[in-house]
Amino acid sequence: MSAIPAEAIRAENQADSSGQYDDLVNAGYEHGFVTEIESDTLPPGLDETVVRAISARKGEPEWMTEWRLSAYSKWLEMPTPTWAAVHYPPIDYQAISYFSAPKKKDGPKSLDEVDPILLETYEKLGIPIEEQKALAGVAVDAVFDSVSVATTFRKTLHEAGVIFCSISEAVQEYPELVQKYLGTVVPPTDNFYTGLNSAVFTDGTFVYVPKHTRCPMELSTYFRINTANTGQFERTLIVADEGSYVSYLEGCTAPQRDENQLHAAVVELIALDDAEIKYSTVQNWYPGDENGKGGIYNFVTKRGDCRGHRSKISWTQVETGSAITWKYPSCILRGDDSVGEFYSVAVTKGRQQADTGTKMIHLGKNTSSTIVSKGISAQHGQQAYRGLVRIAARAAGARNHTQCDSLLIGDKSSAHTFPYIEVKNPSAKMEHEATTSKISDDQLFYCRSRGLSEEDAVSMIVNGFCKEVFNELPMEFAVEAQKLLSISLEGAVG
Amino acid sequence: MSAATNSSRQQTEAAEAFAGWLHDLGEAASPAGTGVDAESAQGWLAAERQQAAERLRAQAVPTGKSESWRYTGLRSLIDQGFIQVDEPLSALTPEDIEEVLVPGLDAHRAVLVNGRYSASLSELGTLPRGVRVGSLSQMLESDPDALQGVLTRLAGEGSHLFAALNTAAMQDGLVLLLERGALLERPIEIIHLSVGMEEPRVAQPRHLISLGDGAQAQVIERYISLGDALYCTNSVLEIALGRDARLTHARLQQESPNAFHITSLYLSQDANSHYAGVNIGLGGIWARTDLVTRFSGEHAECDLQGLYLAGDKQLIDYHMDVRHGLPNCSSRERFKGILYGKGRAVFDGLVYVARDAQKTDAAMSNRNLILSENAEVDTKPQLEIYADDVKCSHGTTVGQIEPEALFYLRSRGISASLARRMLCLGFAGEIIDALDSEALRDYVTEQVGDRLERAPLD
Repeated sequence: MSAIPAEAIRAENQADSSGQYDDLVNAGYEHGFVTEIESDTLPPGLDETVVRAISARKGEPEWMTEWRLSAYSKWLEMPTPTWAAVHYPPIDYQAISYFSAPKKKDGPKSLDEVDPILLETYEKLGIPIEEQKALAGVAVDAVFDSVSVATTFRKTLHEAGVIFCSISEAVQEYPELVQKYLGTVVPPTDNFYTGLNSAVFTDGTFVYVPKHTRCPMELSTYFRINTANTGQFERTLIVADEGSYVSYLEGCTAPQRDENQLHAAVVELIALDDAEIKYSTVQNWYPGDENGKGGIYNFVTKRGDCRGHRSKISWTQVETGSAITWKYPSCILRGDDSVGEFYSVAVTKGRQQADTGTKMIHLGKNTSSTIVSKGISAQHGQQAYRGLVRIAARAAGARNHTQCDSLLIGDKSSAHTFPYIEVKNPSAKMEHEATTSKISDDQLFYCRSRGLSEEDAVSMIVNGFCKEVFNELPMEFAVEAQKLLSISLEGAVG
Repeated sequence: MSAATNSSRQQTEAAEAFAGWLHDLGEAASPAGTGVDAESAQGWLAAERQQAAERLRAQAVPTGKSESWRYTGLRSLIDQGFIQVDEPLSALTPEDIEEVLVPGLDAHRAVLVNGRYSASLSELGTLPRGVRVGSLSQMLESDPDALQGVLTRLAGEGSHLFAALNTAAMQDGLVLLLERGALLERPIEIIHLSVGMEEPRVAQPRHLISLGDGAQAQVIERYISLGDALYCTNSVLEIALGRDARLTHARLQQESPNAFHITSLYLSQDANSHYAGVNIGLGGIWARTDLVTRFSGEHAECDLQGLYLAGDKQLIDYHMDVRHGLPNCSSRERFKGILYGKGRAVFDGLVYVARDAQKTDAAMSNRNLILSENAEVDTKPQLEIYADDVKCSHGTTVGQIEPEALFYLRSRGISASLARRMLCLGFAGEIIDALDSEALRDYVTEQVGDRLERAPLD
C-alpha cells in the first residue's frame, strides 16, 4: 500500500470511465469522531506478564489465566497466515496496547450512572440506548473499547432464563458453562489470530439460551473501537441449548484514525439438538482514507457448531468497512439433519481489501447448507470469495447450494472466487455457481429512461443484486444495511 | 501437537525423497544421455537444459501444503523410483500395434515407443505442402535452427516442476510445423505406446506443434500401453497458434492401469486463432494433466473440454490455468467426470483476467457423477478478475444418478445396471460428441462403455 498523492488518485479517477459517478463515492466516513474519555490502558507490548495483567485486572479465576497462558505459549510458535489475497505491512504486535478500559467511577448501577460522554457517543452513532430500551425491544450490551459499560433488559431476559452478559461476567458467574464450551468450536491453536485472541481477549459477549426457550428479543451488541492503538480482541460465545432459538445482531463503527487498528475477534456458536442460532453482522469500521491509510484490520474467526441433530446456524453479514477483512464464518454440520447458512454482502471501495467466505463441513447425515455471497468491488477495491464445502464420507444425503456473484464497478477493482469443494459421499448433491460482471449499460439505460438519476439507478440495481442477502436480515437491520450500502457506494459507482 | 510434528516430519522425508529422485533423474539426463545429444543439439538447447535443471534445484519440492498439489499426493509416484528410459526399443512390428488402433480412423500416424519416435511403426503418408512432421531428435540434428527460439519458449520460465524435468531430460518427441496458410486435411494421430521394462521407467516425450498464420490442423494424441505395465510418462507439449490459425486437438489418455501419467500442455494463441481441445482421461493409476493457456492477440478463442472416468484406486487430476492478458478473448472450460469404486478426481481450474483484458468472455464448468461410497472428488474452479467489463462465470456440481431417471428406464424393462450405464453414457456423451472424427467418437464411446460395464455400478 504505497502512499499515492490524493491529487494523483483524483486525476486517475477522472480519467476512468468510471469517473462519472465519482462524487458519489467520495463521501467521507460518517462516524469518524473520537470520544475523549480517560482510559485505563496498559502500555504497548505483549509478553506473559501482559497476559497475566489482563487476567488479573479482570479478576479472573486461575483456570482462565492458565488457559490464556497456554494459548499465548502456543501462539508464539504459530506463523502468520499468508494465503489470503490481501496485502499489508507486517504488524508489530509489540506496538499494540492490549488492554484499555473506560475508567469506572464507582461502577454505574444503572444507565443513569453511565458516563454521559459515552452515552453521547452512542447517540452520535445513532444507537440511543434509552430509545431502544423503550421502543425497539432490543437488549443492547454495548462494548466501548474493551469493557461492557451498559447492559439493558437483563431482567426480561432473566425471566426467560436467558443469560446475556459480558464474557468476563460469565467467567465469574457461570464458570461451569464457560469452561464447558469456551474454545470447543474455535480452539486457541486454530490459527494465528485465534491464538492471539485466546491469550489477550479483553471482553465480549456470552449468551446461553436454556432448553426449549425462544429468546424473547433480538440480542444485540454494538462494538466500537476507541482508544488509538488498542487492539480489540472480543470473544463471543453463544450456546443454544436443546430446542431453543436466538437471534443475535452485531454491528459496529469506529472513529477515524490514521493508524491501522487490529481487530482479531473470535465468535463461537454452539447449537444443540433442535436449536437455532441466527447471527447477523453489519460491519462498518473505518476503511482508511482514499489512499488506504488508516483503517481497521479485521481478522476474525467465526465458527458455528451444529452439534445437535436438527440444529441450525445461520450467518448473515454485511461487510462495508475495514481496510482489510479476513473473515470466514463457518458451520460444522455435525448433527444429523442440521442446517448451515451463509448470506453475505461485501463491499470494497477505495483501497479496501476483503478476503471472505465460509466453510461448510458436512459430517452428519442429511445435512444441508446454503451459501449466497454477493461481492461488490469499486474503485481500487479488491475482493475474494474463499470458501470450502466438504462433504465427509459418512454425510449421506448431504446437500449444498452455493452461489457467488461479483459486481465490478470501475476498471481498477478486482474480484476473485476461490471455492474448494471436496465430496466423498455418493448420495451428496452439491452445486456451485459463480458469476462476475458489471452493471450493464442496458440495465442503466432502462432505469434512466424511466426518469431515474444515474445514482439512483445504480443504487437500485446494487440493492437488487444484494436483495437475497438483505432478506435474511432482521427488519431494522435490513433497512440500516440498505442505507449503509447506498452511503458506501456514494461516489464509487461507475 | 505431536501429530502435527509427525506429519511435518513425514513431509520433510517426502520432500527429501523427491529431491533425491529428481536429482538422480537429472543426472541420468545430463549430456551423456542418448537421443537429443548435447553436441549436435546446439548451445542454446544445452543452456535451456541447464536452466531447467537449475529451476528444478531451486524450486521448493511440493508437499501436501503446496496449493497445486493439495489433493494430489506425490508420494506414490516417488516411491516407484522411476528411472530414465535409456535405449530405444525397436523390436515391435506394425502387427503388434494393430490391436490398439482406432478402427476406421484415417490419419497420418506417428508412433512413439517409450517416448522415442519409431519410424518403422509410423505411417505418415503423403503430407500436404507446408507441413513438416518428424522426430524431435532428428530435427535437432538436421535442422536445429528451425527449433531455436521455438522449443522451450512456452514451457520455459515459471513452468511446472515436471515440465522443467522434461526440459532437462527430454530425449525425443514429435514436431509438427505448419507454414502460413498450410492446411492439413487428414488428422495427425500421435500414438504414445508404452511397453513395460524390467525396471520401472519414465519416458519424457517432448512435442512441439506450431501453426503459422491461418494454418489449420487436427491432432489426435493417444497414450496407450501394451499390457498392465508399471511405467511413467512425463510429457510436455508446446503449442503455438499464429493469427487466424485453427487447431482441434483430441487427447486420449488410456495408459495401463498401473501407469503414472503427467502431461503439461502449454498453449499460446495469437489473434483470432481458435483452439478446441477435448481431453479424455480413462487410464493410469495416477494421472495429472496441466493445461496452460496464454493469449498473444485479441479475439482468440480457447475451448477446453474434458471427460474423466476414475475407478478403482485411480486418481485423475486436471489443472487448468487460463490467463486472459489481452482484451476480447474468450475461453470455455467444460469438464465432466464419473467416479466409481475408489476413484478420485481433482479438478482445479483458474481463469485469470488481467486489468487490460476487457470484454473477456470466460465460462468454466465442472460436473461430476459420483457413484460409490469410496469415490471422491475435489474441485476448485477459481476466478481471479481485475477487469470490470467482463463476462465470467463458473459452475460446479457433484451429484449422482437421478432416481427418477433410473426409475423411468427400469419401468421400460431395462435392467438397473444397464440403465445406470445408459445414463452415465448420456452424461459422458456431451463431451464425446465434441470430438471431430466419427471413428474416434465411436471408439471413445466403446471404451467408456467397456469401463462402465466393468465398473461396480450397483
